[in-house]
Amino acid sequence: MDLFLQTLLNGLLIGGVIATFTIGFQLAFGVLHVIDFAVGGWVVLGGYLGYYMGAGLGVDGFLAIPVAFMLFGAIGYLIGPILYNVRNSRTARPELMALALTFGLFTLLRGGMLTAWGFNTHSVPTVLSGESLAVGPLTVPLIRVAAAVFAIAIAGGLFLFLYRTRYGLAIRATAENRQNAALMGVNIRRLSATVYGLYAGITAMAGVLMGAIFSVNPEVGLRYTLFAFFVAVLAGLGSVGGALVAALLLGVIEAFVATYVGSSYSLLAIFGTLFLVLLVSPRGILRHGL
Amino acid sequence: MKPRWAVFLLLIAAIVVLALLPMLVNNYWLRIATGALMWAGLACSWNMLGGYAGYINFGHSAFFGLGAYVTALLMGDRLAWPFFATLPAGIVVTALFAIIIGAPTLRLRGAYFAIATWAFAEVLIQFASVMDFTGGIGGIGLPPFLDERFFYFAMFGAAALTYLITWALFERSRFGLKVKALRDHEPAAEAIGINTSLVKLQTFVLSAVTASVFGAIFAYWVTFINPKSVFGGDITDQMVVMVLLGGLGSLWGPALGGVALFVVNRIIWMYWGDTAFYIAILGAAIVLVVLFLPNGIAGMFSRRVAKSGAVLDKAVGNLVGGGPGRPS
Repeated sequence: MDLFLQTLLNGLLIGGVIATFTIGFQLAFGVLHVIDFAVGGWVVLGGYLGYYMGAGLGVDGFLAIPVAFMLFGAIGYLIGPILYNVRNSRTARPELMALALTFGLFTLLRGGMLTAWGFNTHSVPTVLSGESLAVGPLTVPLIRVAAAVFAIAIAGGLFLFLYRTRYGLAIRATAENRQNAALMGVNIRRLSATVYGLYAGITAMAGVLMGAIFSVNPEVGLRYTLFAFFVAVLAGLGSVGGALVAALLLGVIEAFVATYVGSSYSLLAIFGTLFLVLLVSPRGILRHGL
Repeated sequence: MKPRWAVFLLLIAAIVVLALLPMLVNNYWLRIATGALMWAGLACSWNMLGGYAGYINFGHSAFFGLGAYVTALLMGDRLAWPFFATLPAGIVVTALFAIIIGAPTLRLRGAYFAIATWAFAEVLIQFASVMDFTGGIGGIGLPPFLDERFFYFAMFGAAALTYLITWALFERSRFGLKVKALRDHEPAAEAIGINTSLVKLQTFVLSAVTASVFGAIFAYWVTFINPKSVFGGDITDQMVVMVLLGGLGSLWGPALGGVALFVVNRIIWMYWGDTAFYIAILGAAIVLVVLFLPNGIAGMFSRRVAKSGAVLDKAVGNLVGGGPGRPS
């Protein structure tokens, strides 16, 4: 029973962090209509930033979080318009071209990081690393709690931004119907750049947290891309609220398979579930609007 | 009729050169030529579904790996089948898998289909890694057979057959028109009475089966396979890049892209060894092609010819586009 509760808790805490970057992923899809393969690349880049700031400059990993947001937010802001142009170009199949572009970007990031930093794994040093708290029979690693709190803060901030500001209103309107939004005076192109920047920044922040909890190497990016896809498929592409539920579910599934079956089966279980969900309900289980 | 003759002669010349190649070059270059033929064939097999039917398959390595594993398992110590007997077995197994996987996933559109096929390939790689009978992560060996000429001609035959099938089915038959119609507008194709589900499934199975044949020959050629070497995502990545580079949905595009990229791969390999740098180059190639050359090498070629209105236009049109309505 203790093991069960411990697994559940671990799963929920990790699910919270997964939720942060999948919410951004869903937002980017809602506005740009592009499935971003590069999502795992941003996570890993964030993790490396945290590692280099910690190991190179001696700065605590948590301080890397705002830096990651600004740096990768700016980079995303520059990439956004390119993606927008490809998605709305006059080629025969713009959606496939955009998909191929992010796929290429992901491959480029992965190859570049492998070339520059090699296959070694690193972890982001923080003040809370290795500390844990005993609650009854359960041990709670503090770094996971802190990460979950950060994740909730980031998600909460994003929801406030989306539902309490005029700019958030414009984003939601664009996701719902871009033509009408454009007629109401929203500059879709510039908005797309902002949203992609926002998404890249949030994803990199989640990457710092992931790097502190687990560790980071260029090959784990694929895993996070899979997580984002899993959540997106379960929640329905573009659904932000559903992503929250689906991410927690994913965290729990992964924790339970890793504990009770074996961690080498966890990817098999996730891919298998993803495949089955797609077959049973091709447009997502938890379908909701933005 | 003149340009048709020119193309025909060019084709004959290419076949003669390729058939005589083993007598002209040493084993080192023969191995490179064998690899180039394999990748040209694999790119063509991916292009059947990706280019002609417009369904992006991000898990095509699954079928390459299935062919490789069936041959490896059947030729192993316990069963010791002869190589050519394993080919039909691999084809049957792959076709069954393709039907079981394709029937439900082909209902999915666009990105969802890409994700589903990708997930399927990853399931297979994980499965092959944890199971005992596949040898786990360590992989399995095959009885070694070191006749470079045999493998060259096997790949040559498989590639030639793949291109012949593609030409006959997708460029020269009603089936090809149906496939292109559903690519360009699926509801409209359905409305004029095309059984799109069936046509998609047929294309999917054909594309899967051709990939599995290359997988089988590859396994026998390298005599040792493991999950990463035959199911790995890098294999799919390469096919996608080759087709994009050569030209999506054209007959000769994948051959051009496949050979070009494979030569680049070998050059990098010669100078830097097995390096991660190649992955970065692959990625950069995809990005650059999407941004600056969305129709690939074949598209660039036919457009330039169309501008000058030269005789070659018709020749290339016959080969590449196959469309009748090109204004001259």
